[in-house]
Amino acid sequence: MALTLEKEAQQTNGSAGATGAQAGEEFPTPYLGRSVKIVGPHVNVDMNQSPHPKNQRGELGKPLFNWYRNTVSHDPLTRVSAPNHFADRRHFLTNVINRSSNGKVNPQKVAVDDPAAMARHIKAVAHYLGADVVGIAKTHPSFLYAPGGGRYVQDGSAKDEFQSNSPDDLTRNFPFIIQATTAWDYNKLQAHRHQIGDAAYHVSQMKGVMVLKALEGYIKELGYTALRGVVTPQAAGVAGGIGELGRNGLVINKNFGARIHMPDPILTDLPLVADEPVDIGVEDFCKICRKCANTCPTNSIPFGDKVVHNGIEKYKINWLTCYKLRPYVHEYWGSCLTCAAVCPFTKPNVWWHSLATGALHSFPYFARPALVRALKWIDDKFWGVARTNRVRWLGYDSGVKPGDQACTVAGCTASHEGKGASDATSNFGYYAPLKENTNRFVKRDA
Amino acid sequence: MALRFGRAKFPGLGKDSHRNDPYWDFFINRPPADLANTVTEMIRNAPEGNVFPTKSELHTPEITSSHLKGMAEYFGAELIGVVKLDPNENAAGYPFAVICAVHADYDPRQAPGIGGQVPVQNGLFITFVLSSWIRELGFRATAAPEPDAEKLAARAGLGTLSKEGRLITPQFGANVHVANVIRTDLPLAADG
Repeated sequence: MALTLEKEAQQTNGSAGATGAQAGEEFPTPYLGRSVKIVGPHVNVDMNQSPHPKNQRGELGKPLFNWYRNTVSHDPLTRVSAPNHFADRRHFLTNVINRSSNGKVNPQKVAVDDPAAMARHIKAVAHYLGADVVGIAKTHPSFLYAPGGGRYVQDGSAKDEFQSNSPDDLTRNFPFIIQATTAWDYNKLQAHRHQIGDAAYHVSQMKGVMVLKALEGYIKELGYTALRGVVTPQAAGVAGGIGELGRNGLVINKNFGARIHMPDPILTDLPLVADEPVDIGVEDFCKICRKCANTCPTNSIPFGDKVVHNGIEKYKINWLTCYKLRPYVHEYWGSCLTCAAVCPFTKPNVWWHSLATGALHSFPYFARPALVRALKWIDDKFWGVARTNRVRWLGYDSGVKPGDQACTVAGCTASHEGKGASDATSNFGYYAPLKENTNRFVKRDA
Repeated sequence: MALRFGRAKFPGLGKDSHRNDPYWDFFINRPPADLANTVTEMIRNAPEGNVFPTKSELHTPEITSSHLKGMAEYFGAELIGVVKLDPNENAAGYPFAVICAVHADYDPRQAPGIGGQVPVQNGLFITFVLSSWIRELGFRATAAPEPDAEKLAARAGLGTLSKEGRLITPQFGANVHVANVIRTDLPLAADG
């Protein structure tokens, strides 16, 4: 099923013009670090063929369409923070911000004498606005969406006068991509596959949307153009040195691991200096670890080696089976996040975590497998092969099974219509592996 | 929390670390040429949504109050207080006012740039999401800028008023921005 869909996507894109690796002299193939490699002819991704737009058009079947369009969450916090499951879309800040009309570029340009100073300034500004990670990438045609697909900003809209430009033209005119993003709360992420984990994910996502919109507005105030909905976020993240691409298809950062968002980046003509891709040993780790593949509830993460997909050598997850989990679970929680939570790189941003990633970074390549095995052993020993912590936050308690209702708030004497604390049965969170359900998605290949 | 070593941070020294940045003054002090470029304007212009038709099951008012504060803290509020309003103050029938405040390196009333307005932006983020959340709980709530927000903040015990009527807090001194006041009928336990 997935294969057919992807083939269709490639065929529809075929006429859009191949760019990237074959483009030759003018745009040399960029170095993306050790985790991803552009090896063959690359066809630019058509945004209309990505999961959410496909689902909006009902191409992924009725259950998914209904999940996307016709569900209202039981949880009040989810109704204000998660895309699509609100009762009133005016309560969803991402909608308010991304649907707002765009401001004009300031005609009075601020002169940039030293691009390096401007790059430092933009990073300081992004951090001051609330971003946790910022990276600047040099634009390459293969990072941009296929022309003709329009601009795509999730839960919003973007329009500009460069809509009909080809990726090559955009690259010539807008040489830099700014990716600024927020990280999820580590402690709440431990209760992923629960509303607490959803809160960690969705609230920081709203914050990230606000930060990027403010940064976009600021660049326009500086007198330069800022385009949204043009760039593949993962490519910008890897090329801009935010992290390396892991087996789980997520950009893994040295401070936060996989718990960062990859929102829609900014394409701009502001003179900057680009960052280099980083090496924090993700490449060596993913070859050995496979914790995400083992715990994925839908077996969507490969156990095998990297493959070449659309001219890019990387680990290829099965996005369709990953996406298909949602209608089965949406009554209880929204975002799975298992692969991000079990990733050994996902740790609090503290000194012992920096020590481990620093060691990985400075070890010679041949010695890294031994270090990875040691670190993975420590990770299995102290954090477990799956996350099983019980997390309580405000009225939420991940020890209560989804669907069950119980008030376990200490000191609460309110009557909740007979639902007492004794209804909470298990001693740990709802993380019993869902493996008994997984074969309905895809058979394990190892 | 886990043991943490990092650069030592001293309150009030934040703005000095940008001394070598030639564009920092533009970021903080230059008023935007087009207000549509600012997130503050987008959130201010956003209409209020509906109250969810079914009321959520609540715990006791003390616990609801602590959950509300925990939620506001998670959204980024640094100081939160709940005030019980007198009958003559709540013409619209809101018995409580929720006050959220964030620290402000630069006084937003004197720094009109996008950077100078960052406390306002963070305050709007908090009050927008928090008041939406209360409405989704099934209770009425409205967030609006109020001229006597600092007086209400002092009544909620966030700090004391100076001679000029400005809020002085133990945590941030006068470098504090009081966000929009959320008036609500959610049953809460008042701080003052």
